[in-house]
Amino acid sequence: MIERLTARRAWLGVAVVIVAALPWLLDTSYWRGILVLCAMNVLLALSLNLVIGYTGQLNLGQSAFFGIGAYVSTILIKGYGWNFWLAAVAAVGAAGLLGLALAAFAVRLRGHYLAIASLGFAVITYQVLVNWENVTQGVRGIYGIMPPFSHPAALFYLVAGIAVLVYVLIDNLVRSPVGDTLRAIREDEVSAASLGINRALWKAFAFGVGAAIAGLAGCFYPGFVGTLVPDAFAIVESFTMMAMVIVGGMGTMIGPVVGAIVLTFLPELLRGFGELRLMIYGLALTLVVLFVPGGIVQAWTKLKARIS
Amino acid sequence: MNALLRATCLSKSFGGVRAVQNVSIAVPEKSIFALIGPNGAGKSTLLNLLSGIYQPDAGSLHFEERNLIGLPAHRRVRLGIARTFQKIRLFKQLTLLENVLAGFHIHQDAPFWKYLVYGNAGRFREEARSLLAFVGLEARSGERAGALPYGQQRMLEIARALATRPRLFMLDEPAAGLNAAEVDFLLKRLEQIGRQDITVVVVEHNMDLVMNVAHRVFVMDHGEPLFEGTPREVRHNPAVIAAYLGGEFAP
Amino acid sequence: MVALGLTLIYGVLNQINFAHADFVTVGAFTAFFTATRFATKVLGLPDAGAYLLSMFAALGAGALLGLAVNAAVFAPLRDRGDELRPLIATIGVSVLLENAQLALFGPIPYQFDSPFSRQTLRIGRIFFSGQSLLVVAVSAAAIAALYGFMRFTFLGKALRAVAQDRETAGLMGINPNLLIALTIVIASALAGMAGALLGPVLVLSPFAGASVIVKAFAIVIIGGFGNMQGTILAGILVGVIEAFTVQYLGSGLIDLVVFVMLLVMLALRPTGLIAERKEENV
Repeated sequence: MIERLTARRAWLGVAVVIVAALPWLLDTSYWRGILVLCAMNVLLALSLNLVIGYTGQLNLGQSAFFGIGAYVSTILIKGYGWNFWLAAVAAVGAAGLLGLALAAFAVRLRGHYLAIASLGFAVITYQVLVNWENVTQGVRGIYGIMPPFSHPAALFYLVAGIAVLVYVLIDNLVRSPVGDTLRAIREDEVSAASLGINRALWKAFAFGVGAAIAGLAGCFYPGFVGTLVPDAFAIVESFTMMAMVIVGGMGTMIGPVVGAIVLTFLPELLRGFGELRLMIYGLALTLVVLFVPGGIVQAWTKLKARIS
Repeated sequence: MNALLRATCLSKSFGGVRAVQNVSIAVPEKSIFALIGPNGAGKSTLLNLLSGIYQPDAGSLHFEERNLIGLPAHRRVRLGIARTFQKIRLFKQLTLLENVLAGFHIHQDAPFWKYLVYGNAGRFREEARSLLAFVGLEARSGERAGALPYGQQRMLEIARALATRPRLFMLDEPAAGLNAAEVDFLLKRLEQIGRQDITVVVVEHNMDLVMNVAHRVFVMDHGEPLFEGTPREVRHNPAVIAAYLGGEFAP
Repeated sequence: MVALGLTLIYGVLNQINFAHADFVTVGAFTAFFTATRFATKVLGLPDAGAYLLSMFAALGAGALLGLAVNAAVFAPLRDRGDELRPLIATIGVSVLLENAQLALFGPIPYQFDSPFSRQTLRIGRIFFSGQSLLVVAVSAAAIAALYGFMRFTFLGKALRAVAQDRETAGLMGINPNLLIALTIVIASALAGMAGALLGPVLVLSPFAGASVIVKAFAIVIIGGFGNMQGTILAGILVGVIEAFTVQYLGSGLIDLVVFVMLLVMLALRPTGLIAERKEENV
């Protein structure tokens, strides 16, 4: 046990060093921007993985929480003059609450029905963002949003730092009895209940925390892009998040991180970014689900086994 | 005799089908209590009523003077009621050890922040291992539960349920699909469990299996109570024999 | 009224797809094939003829694509007993298709005029465009034909048997895989044709499918998964509600209203209007 803890701390140290070095290795503002995007995607993938990978709840509505985080924080900052950090706290809270609302559906619905309900949830949120023009400016968008730090490297450190922190916390949680509980719900709800697990409570926990983290990622997004339009939070974003989780390896901790990194950088490395980005996601997702359902993590494990 | 679990006039219907009708049952403390009857007698439904998966349409249900009506299944576990299922419901992707560890859920009482900061609190590993040893599975504790042969999966389910440290342990047709050696192993374990002052309720449709182990037998047929008594009395009761005729048993 | 025809066809279509059905893929199909129609138009046929031809082309293309996707994606995953994977696979395929079309055709919508879209007809005090009437007419005919097929022909009954219990149907000499393939082909063909009908009505871009498909889902849920009468009923219901929404609340809110309905339905009665009983055996 002690060796495992030390090993984990060692890896953490390595990760911190790499993260610290990255903005110096990729030092154009374009690539630093990609790094920030990557960090945000890592957060999003981790959040979704908690709900889908560890608790086994089919959630297609994560884009809604991402969007709520973005809009609530931006509106508070621009409309009411709040300080960024306070606004972020409020936005995370709002997203979390919304996550609890979705959890209410999860308690009663299984499988496909939940998938559709979550999809509906995301669509409704999107429509609200589009139509409630008094508050959100609808499709016209909100402009001139400043990130908390204007230097792209600083922004990266902020987001990446938060991503690392969230990773460590969730990793601890998942290795603890909480993880056992969530996975029990994923594997077989009925017998989980027969072991005393309060499914409603823990589903609410998973959805709420997952939503809150997605909302947190949302707080950084508008500042990064500079403008805020509802289209950034359309349903397809839920699918891209799902692609990251699955391609990387659903139900593991490192999987979503790998998936987010790969799917953020891959379209960049291949020429013809833009339209091809989503096509790559779709292709990757389909191929992975067909041939390597455990994602890159599973492929890696198999490879290691073959070599030794 | 102290009744640990007392049900009075329980009834449950699904659509038009009366699965359980007017069943009154008193399970004595620290005994092995068998619930038998031919297929379709309503035994599993009754078990589901007792464990909280279904709520009865009528009747009362008490566990040590505590009213169970309305209490959901997961709360009953905290009172000390555990069960296994007729169709094996293991956590197939998890290892044996992880399955049993999940069973300690209601005993995890560390403050939440400790999980966030420190991760695993490995308090129950020892006890989990000894439970696995009890059912003869300790050697395979690192394997995936789904990889086990059927008979061993059953035993794993029992080990996992025991992790909740129940006072009342209910098993739904645990012997189904087991060969003779496995049944023998199972019955010996049940006896041992009984000797640890855990009250055991076994639902079985095969009469012979439980006759050697049970202290008291309750017979159901078509959702209604048929007879209750010692194994010997049940075996010779003409109504019981008649109910089973056409089935597998000789008196 | 237009919405009515639209939703009807999607309602029926979707429910025919079994358990792990195409979801967004269907929408993607139609978008794809409406674009094909555009290409067909380039031939020098008279307008009405060209359009008719294009409808058949759409139908055929839909069928082909359905077949292909089925073979590549659904069949290998079918018996693995996992709910999640086929669903995700369909999501992957749909994202792929949608963006492939985006790459091929560009994001700027095409103007797709059918010979009927410029004609209008007046019934009572309401103006209908010819195209809308065509949509309704063809949808109604297709639905009636499908309904008859399912109920009265041997193949139709075989299909329903496979839907209810695949193993047993197999034991009775019906080849389930073949029938499933057939079903998907029919469903995809219908989708393709719907695309042809809708092209002139909706804005034609690779994203056109998306808006329709999500609504189709709502209809299927409200009517009940796998239930023909329910879906037809739900289609009508949704269509009417949509029409009223447009009238009184403005067209931007259509999607919102439909989805709120969907969520309410799921909260209260997940199995749909005409529920199919499925008890879980513990």
